Amino acid sequence: MLNRKKPEIVDAIVVGLGANGGTAVKVLAEAGLKVVGFDRGPWLRPLEHYSGDELKFVNRDYMWPDPKMFPRTVRYDENAVAERFPFSPLPQMVGGGTNHWAGWVPRPRESDFMMRSLHGDIEGASLADWPFRYEHLEPYLTKVEWAFGVSGIAGADKYEPHRSKGYPSPPLRPTQYGKRFYDACNKMGINAFPIPHAMVTNKHNGRDPFNQTSFWNQYGDPSGARSNTLTSFIPEAVATGNLEVRAECFVQSVKLGRDGKATGVIYIDPDGNEVEQDARVVILTLGAIESARLMLMSKSPRFPDGLANGSGLVGKNATFHEYLFAVGLFDKDIDEPLNGFAGNYISGGSLEFYETDESRGHIGGSIISASQTCHPINWVFPGRPTWGEALKDADRNYYNYAMKIGLILHDLPVESNRVDLDPTVKDAFGLPVARITHSPHRNDIAMGKWQVDKNVEILEAAGARKTVPVYLDKMTGNTCHQHGTARMGADPAKSVLNEWGQAHEVDNLFVLDGSGFPTATGVNPTLTMMANAWRCSEYIAEVYSKGREERLVLSNSMR
Amino acid sequence: MTLKSDWEIVGAPVDPDSTDRLFFTAHEWATVEAATARIMPTDQDAGAREAKVVVFIDRYLSGIDYVYAAADGSGFLKITGKYADAWRARMNEMQNVYRHGLAQLDALAEAEGGKRFAELSDEGADRVLELLSGAPKPGHVTLGTKEPVTTFLQGSFDEGLDFFSAICLHTRQGFYCDPVYGGNKDQMGWKFIGFPGPKSLKDTMDGTYSTAEYFYQGDFDWEDLIPQLRAYRQAGGTL
Repeated sequence: MLNRKKPEIVDAIVVGLGANGGTAVKVLAEAGLKVVGFDRGPWLRPLEHYSGDELKFVNRDYMWPDPKMFPRTVRYDENAVAERFPFSPLPQMVGGGTNHWAGWVPRPRESDFMMRSLHGDIEGASLADWPFRYEHLEPYLTKVEWAFGVSGIAGADKYEPHRSKGYPSPPLRPTQYGKRFYDACNKMGINAFPIPHAMVTNKHNGRDPFNQTSFWNQYGDPSGARSNTLTSFIPEAVATGNLEVRAECFVQSVKLGRDGKATGVIYIDPDGNEVEQDARVVILTLGAIESARLMLMSKSPRFPDGLANGSGLVGKNATFHEYLFAVGLFDKDIDEPLNGFAGNYISGGSLEFYETDESRGHIGGSIISASQTCHPINWVFPGRPTWGEALKDADRNYYNYAMKIGLILHDLPVESNRVDLDPTVKDAFGLPVARITHSPHRNDIAMGKWQVDKNVEILEAAGARKTVPVYLDKMTGNTCHQHGTARMGADPAKSVLNEWGQAHEVDNLFVLDGSGFPTATGVNPTLTMMANAWRCSEYIAEVYSKGREERLVLSNSMR
Repeated sequence: MTLKSDWEIVGAPVDPDSTDRLFFTAHEWATVEAATARIMPTDQDAGAREAKVVVFIDRYLSGIDYVYAAADGSGFLKITGKYADAWRARMNEMQNVYRHGLAQLDALAEAEGGKRFAELSDEGADRVLELLSGAPKPGHVTLGTKEPVTTFLQGSFDEGLDFFSAICLHTRQGFYCDPVYGGNKDQMGWKFIGFPGPKSLKDTMDGTYSTAEYFYQGDFDWEDLIPQLRAYRQAGGTL
């Protein structure tokens, strides 16, 4: 491999241009910092590359990491040898998970920031409070909702904490199954409403969406309806003249200088050359699995166990959520069709069961939503017969007569649930892959069971004539939500990052993705992550880069 | 190196009526046709045989030229670099899975009834598929029950699948894929289940294709659907 001429030093490097990297480059470039953004995947052009091809997008991993190039391994027992499995396979490409996502963007709740204060020590879990509170994030939640584009109805969510502004875009009309969900919830006294959605349905910020194809969750969207950093924040950052995107470039380590500061990164360019890029600030936004992996791979005499890992906590306390659900089947001879293929994945949801109610036998709770049963090859019917006349009849009778109510499992942090480097399996660049070790906390199992059963009740109230509940057995990473592998906190012995996502031990290293989440929150995390990335990037641009330092101290009343 | 974002479009949509064989031998072709016809059988509606699932599988297994259709369906993407290496390695494995699996089907068929698989009656073929899968033929779905399961993964990738699982998955894919891949001839798979798919992939890129009519069509008022919203507004909420 040739060593190409070393490029000029820049103000900031951002590694991983997904939801959070996309937010960071926008804030930094607009503030005038010179930024280089890296992504290991391609910089696709939605108008040219995206369409409604189920085979390509859902079955053949066009946007997902190739399991031979970028494998992961997982084990469910400390003593087992981890097996290859595409655990939590976020698209590794410019725009990241905002390319494929359904785009649920509910706000977090006040309780999400103080699980330790509210619940104390829970045996087997490692609950921790966040180093800031909902009120610190609220202005940034609003910024993201308006700059990125979110549809919703203010005042519809009975349990939402204070919001300072409504939504820029109204929701779409309900789907057939969405209407059934609203009716059933009203019968049961459940507050159903359109879950805030990362899409715009009107003209907004130069967007003029035309997508009514229903090719949504897991598909790329050519229309500008879906809010995606690939089509919003990243081009806005490029337009400032301050961002250079280097796509299909694989960052393999962060360099550390003699003074204990990060000096830049080493990456492999698309032609296979090893190149160094220096910067004054290094920001990791690869997602909680790959950010932890990159830190663990960046070993030095000062940090033999991985960058900024004096605490030994990098990779630990990983939380992943899990998508659980129940499906209901209806009778085509009697019932109206539900057209489960139609819609933009979610249509009607609720946070009625979100807050702790000890009488349920678990702490915390889940957001739920009615959602698409999707397209013909992979339609969501667990127990769909695999072959023969039964398969044919099942598809014919139930494809348009099924509905699904899902939930996001708010799993508790457990220190031994972690990401580390697999001792034997390597990626296409010869580097050790991320290994997941996971065993659910008993609260996770109990919460999943309780909520899936509740979803069955709602389906029955909606008129379902058969139900298929899907309970938690083990984590598969099917939500692609990743958090906790480099906790934020005040105490360097008990956390990796401070309240600005800044490494306690390497002051020009920031990790601005879900890695910093001390607890998972029970909502889909991307809005919270992007708001936090915005908040911390603003700190980098306005305070840190000007040679200053500020501390956010929680008053006693907030603790 | 050509970047993934610049992969060229080459070739043309697959002709479902083509009888050219790119991977299978004539006998393998007949065997796949017979097996997929038992996985998605023909009855009053078309099955795998009419939808040309065998053409779909043959093209897929032929190499890496039929993996990803171009977004507009005008041809296929030419995969490059490490992506091509990964697909070639994976395809090599899947080709072996089929070569051995098809031979095994014949071996089981001959042990059972002294005929090759493609020559068996429907009942005989089903018995062999039961032997191959190690499980009884799936029974019909019945209403009025609750049947729990644990853990469900939606998008199934085929890497590492055994022959029976692979051919079942590929049959569903070939029956319901966009017709550009050679299966789902004349969209017969979609018509059979009532999925109003796009006329062409291109129609999904520019707003031509719409499913708006499959949303709820009745009149509705958000304040009726969401009593909380009415309460919020009545209490003076204005956001």
